[in-house]
Amino acid sequence: MIKTILTTGVALALCSGAAQAADKKLVISVYGFSQDAFKEIVYTPFEAMCGCDLVVETGNSVERLAKLEARKDDPEIDMAVMSTHDALAASRKGITQSIDTSKLTNYDKLYEIAKDPLGDHLGIGYTFYATSIVYRSDKVSIDSWQDLFKPELKGRVAFPNVTTNQGPPSLYMLGKAMGNDAADLAAPIGEIASHKDDIVTFYVRSSQVAQLMQQEEILAAPVGRFAWGAYTKMDMPIKWATPKEGQTGGMNVMIMTKGAKNEDLAYQFMDFWLSTDIQTKLAEALVDSPANAEVKVDAKIAANLTYGEDTVKSLNLLPPAVILDNREKWLEEWNAQVAQ
Amino acid sequence: MFQNRAEGLALVLPGVLFAALVFLLPVGILLSEGFRTSEGWTLTPYYEFFASERNRAVFLRTLKLGALVTAVAAVIGYATAYSIVTLPATARGRMIGLVILPLMISPVARTYAWIVILGRTGIVNRALTFLGLSDEPVRFLFTETAVFIGLLQLFLPLMIVSLTSALENMPKDAVPAARVLGANWFQVFWKVILPLTREGLVIGGTLVFTGSLTAFITPAILGGSKVLMLETLLYQRVTVANDFASASIIAMILMVMSFSANLLLKRLATARRRR
Repeated sequence: MIKTILTTGVALALCSGAAQAADKKLVISVYGFSQDAFKEIVYTPFEAMCGCDLVVETGNSVERLAKLEARKDDPEIDMAVMSTHDALAASRKGITQSIDTSKLTNYDKLYEIAKDPLGDHLGIGYTFYATSIVYRSDKVSIDSWQDLFKPELKGRVAFPNVTTNQGPPSLYMLGKAMGNDAADLAAPIGEIASHKDDIVTFYVRSSQVAQLMQQEEILAAPVGRFAWGAYTKMDMPIKWATPKEGQTGGMNVMIMTKGAKNEDLAYQFMDFWLSTDIQTKLAEALVDSPANAEVKVDAKIAANLTYGEDTVKSLNLLPPAVILDNREKWLEEWNAQVAQ
Repeated sequence: MFQNRAEGLALVLPGVLFAALVFLLPVGILLSEGFRTSEGWTLTPYYEFFASERNRAVFLRTLKLGALVTAVAAVIGYATAYSIVTLPATARGRMIGLVILPLMISPVARTYAWIVILGRTGIVNRALTFLGLSDEPVRFLFTETAVFIGLLQLFLPLMIVSLTSALENMPKDAVPAARVLGANWFQVFWKVILPLTREGLVIGGTLVFTGSLTAFITPAILGGSKVLMLETLLYQRVTVANDFASASIIAMILMVMSFSANLLLKRLATARRRR
């Protein structure tokens, strides 16, 4: 018995050893969504081009960040994509290194806000999204973030949990609408607390909002633009609000791990992903809004994305350092007032 | 059973080694996390956990819903089980099959079904407004009521099955005899059925209570972040804050709650027997 196990183990080890030796390898760490589209548009064409193996690790940002930190001294992952504040957290932990933008031929094509959102080129933006309010235009009108608390929305509105990426930016805009945009978010959290019985749920996944909308459980909720596709397919009059305080949102960046074993391949991969061709294909598949300003898509596609110079300029993004430095405090405040 | 004691021990050894290596050891390491701080071994993290008003609320809610689900499952369970055992053998088999059927459907699918059923436009609310019992739809989703209904539906079959087999083992003449001797139905239940089926109740009660404590998907979907239970709080601590210390504290609390419930139910059963 033991002999069989040992033999099998040795055989397996030999097989995987052989596969590893066969080629150059790049290990990336990405979000779990739209992986089929990424494989078709990005991964497979890149593998064909570089003649290398691409190993893709997926997971939520907390898991992936924890894994990167655990392997800090001997990184297995070469490049990763994250939200700006997670990327900043990674750089503060000494997991990442500055990106040499001279190695990226497509760098100059990026929108200004994507070029160096963290400083020192610790991250390069590859996509961003607007966050605003989706609402049933036949039942209610939304012109301000404060309209979420209109009497007709009592018990018919969902709000992102403070732990989600949509939470803090939405709170920030609510504060702005109240005339108090302090980074401590105390005013908007207090406002949410005083209306907590009017809010159906504090959602943690965007897909949940689409379901609640479909079931007419809710009539409005702040969501990220990346989730908009689901609403356009519903047989209901649903609109994307353009509140007078503006829209908020978030950005995702590429990072390079410190001591990456396949740095050159990682640069090649980043450059490929940022190219006009790939960014256009990702936009057309409604996977990611382009950070490359040269990308042109037709109006119908554009309507489903966060697209174009003007839109990009109108985004009120919370600076990553503000999110990172206040996150714990927001959560404490939220737990004390809202999540009882 | 074995001529040689060593033979028996040798047979049990692989199983024990396996359990120790892949279960007891990791669980021990995980749980010890909660007692360890930079200053050494301490109970402080537990005090800190219960010092938070929210954590206390989550703990009490978990305890309350677990107890409520178990109690209601026992009441419905006895009624159902009793009517099942009085059926002829073939019908009894079919009924038990029907009771077990929901266990074969994924809890995720069953829980999502409740979202549709309990929603504003779901069948419950439509019936309520149609019958004039309510002017506008009642909000069930993301309330304790929804979690209670979901958990009860999830674990009721376990109670029914335990009680059915307990009732089947009860002497057939016990109930008629008690009735003949003038006992009313309440006395029949309290003095005859309950003492004779308490083992089934202990097993069913432990399964339902432990299941309710440790269910994740039902409170996550039907309760959401407004109706946190210990299990959903545990998940939140790990995935949102990467806080394994709090998570292991919650895991420990859940284990202690399960063991205590089992001990308590056993104690109640034997206490009645001694009388």
